[in-house]
Amino acid sequence: MERQIMHVDMDCFYAAIEARDNPSLRREPIAVGSRSSRGVLTTCNYEARKYGIHSAMPNFIAVRKCPHLVILPVRFDVYRFESKRIRSILNQYTNLVEPLSLDEAYLDISSDKRNAVSIANDIRRQIRRVTGLTASAGVAPNKMLAKIASDWKKPNGLFHLAADEISEFMSSLPVSKIWGIGKKAEEKLLAKNIRTCGDLQSYSSLELTHLFGKFGGELYDLCRGIDHRPLVSNRVRKSISVERTFSTNLESLEACAEKVQSLFLELEEELFRLKVDRKIAKLFLKLKFSDFTKTTVERVGLAIKESSAQTLLREAFGRKALPIRLIGIGVRLATYHASQSQQLEFEFQN
Amino acid sequence: MKFKIHRDHFSNGLQQVLNVVGSKASMPILSNVLIEANGETLSLTTTNLDLGICTRIKANVEEEGAITLPVKRLATIIKELPNSDVKVEASPNNQVKITSGGSLFKIMGISRDEFPALPEFSDDRSFTIEQANLANMLKSVSYAQSSDETRYMLNGVYFTFSEPEDSNGSGKLSLVATDGRRLAKIDYEMEVGEGLSGSLILPAKTVSELTRLIDKGENLKIAFNDRRVAFQIHTKDEADGFVGDILLVSKVVEGNYPNYQQVIPKETHQRIKVERELFLQSIHRAALVATDKSNSVKIQISNNLMELSASSPDFGESHESLAIDYSGPDLQVAFNPAFLMDPLKALSKDEIFFELKDEVSPGVFKTLESFLCVIMPVRYT
Repeated sequence: MERQIMHVDMDCFYAAIEARDNPSLRREPIAVGSRSSRGVLTTCNYEARKYGIHSAMPNFIAVRKCPHLVILPVRFDVYRFESKRIRSILNQYTNLVEPLSLDEAYLDISSDKRNAVSIANDIRRQIRRVTGLTASAGVAPNKMLAKIASDWKKPNGLFHLAADEISEFMSSLPVSKIWGIGKKAEEKLLAKNIRTCGDLQSYSSLELTHLFGKFGGELYDLCRGIDHRPLVSNRVRKSISVERTFSTNLESLEACAEKVQSLFLELEEELFRLKVDRKIAKLFLKLKFSDFTKTTVERVGLAIKESSAQTLLREAFGRKALPIRLIGIGVRLATYHASQSQQLEFEFQN
Repeated sequence: MKFKIHRDHFSNGLQQVLNVVGSKASMPILSNVLIEANGETLSLTTTNLDLGICTRIKANVEEEGAITLPVKRLATIIKELPNSDVKVEASPNNQVKITSGGSLFKIMGISRDEFPALPEFSDDRSFTIEQANLANMLKSVSYAQSSDETRYMLNGVYFTFSEPEDSNGSGKLSLVATDGRRLAKIDYEMEVGEGLSGSLILPAKTVSELTRLIDKGENLKIAFNDRRVAFQIHTKDEADGFVGDILLVSKVVEGNYPNYQQVIPKETHQRIKVERELFLQSIHRAALVATDKSNSVKIQISNNLMELSASSPDFGESHESLAIDYSGPDLQVAFNPAFLMDPLKALSKDEIFFELKDEVSPGVFKTLESFLCVIMPVRYT
């Protein structure tokens, strides 16, 4: 049976929420992110994009490109609240919802008899009414195409790709639109004069595997618009962590230890907030050095307490004689299966 | 040193002591057995410094003396000798010649002077118990010992000798073992004189050696102080060649045993009488589908019916039902099947009681006598 998959993607979600809540800024270039000079932008609105600004761009570069850019602090609790409202709207249409992040999700509406385009428009209208924000949507027979389609008419657009249009659509689609093809892979393909999925279709599965390894096999299907991945609702969380980039690099172990202390408190709050009922498999600590290299230390069997995090810090800190740019600490959760049952123990008190 | 001995007597004696050897490469002497020929007997001693065993067997001693030899190799050789008459002779350079029928072995020994003597100590308290009773008690609880070395206090069986609580009562010996998830306890009424109450944690290794040794005679004497314990195990002086007592001297586990009384439920909630063999077999069958990952058996109790079930996502599921005499509320609880089967295997009574409350409270096996086993459940989340 042919599937009907919808990808719903909020239009520059965080920036749109900020614009909604600060109407005077509506026509200004807005970005959301850490306001420190060393931070990076989390996202920005379309006004800002006109200046060549994009998410993950370091602040100082963004400001150079657009000196009157308004950088607002991140308000995750507000974004989460809106995300929840949007998700409850999506859940009214189908149980098969796969959230990808706060601002996008896949829906499987194959079993719905109604016209897919009118469902998509209903959803977008309802989101607009409830949150005051615009969403774009794509409808297609699989996840990859639905995601490409939602991007096609952005912002505030809808694109429906029917099964009999796929072949023509794919032949002219730039390879960079394929999920999994980043800058590196694109360069590799350009070197072979491959620009569109149509160009890519002339290569055999074996040749692609030679070029890209295991991903080559997937690419053979993807460039033809074939994607059999099912929706995964209720994604199982694998870890919970908190991290911080510092406005000036930390030079000493003592300075790092102090930050670990406050980060650990944040982690505890996060664990409490998320009501984690699964067993914690291990604690981990991540450091990013001033040269942007990263290291992670993790260990099974350490108690989940600050002193354990400090132990991991000492080990990670000793790995390179460089100042520290970022510290993250978190826990990896045990696999769901193992946590289904738990042997209870006596509580001896002496 | 020179003696003649019956092959089987020598072999029996070596079998008693050969498990107790040291593992330190720095002390090869601990892999050896000390053989001392005196009067009409041969005494065999091994030690790993924590635990030592000494047994005596009859021999025809022609020349008194002593030597140490690698015990494992020696035991293998003696057992395999072709003739029941064995002659052993040690030369001054510590080489030992063993002859039997057409066989001749020359084995390098180490001088007795290097062998650490078994410690002598003041026995603050001593008691005499029937071997069969102690054997039964150890069997009833020893499976519940912990093998987790980070909880070394639980790596043994806890002995408590208590004086009578009032003038009409009797003294008793209690044995307890727990690994933190289940606890087994058994009591035995015996005479404990005034001022002789006391307790010790017998290390797991000593428990297993003691269990192996105590089926050879009637009584044994246990003596202990804060650091060491000694068992004098009577042997029947008969065909197997043993003379007098086997002596086992061991360190005790130093530390305080946890206050186990607090984990034994004070109240009885729902009590079910089960036929031991039947229950054991049903659990065993139900658990055949369990795996390391999903190692539990669910018990559901309803009117006159007990249902056991287990499942593993990779393999499948099992169901067992048993008729029971029960009219209380329905209840459901899951346990590690091994924890249920261990006490059922160790007991010999046909009928025992199983007490339950709810899915997060322990289950308790009891006999009318003096045994109980408390088992914490597996909780589903």
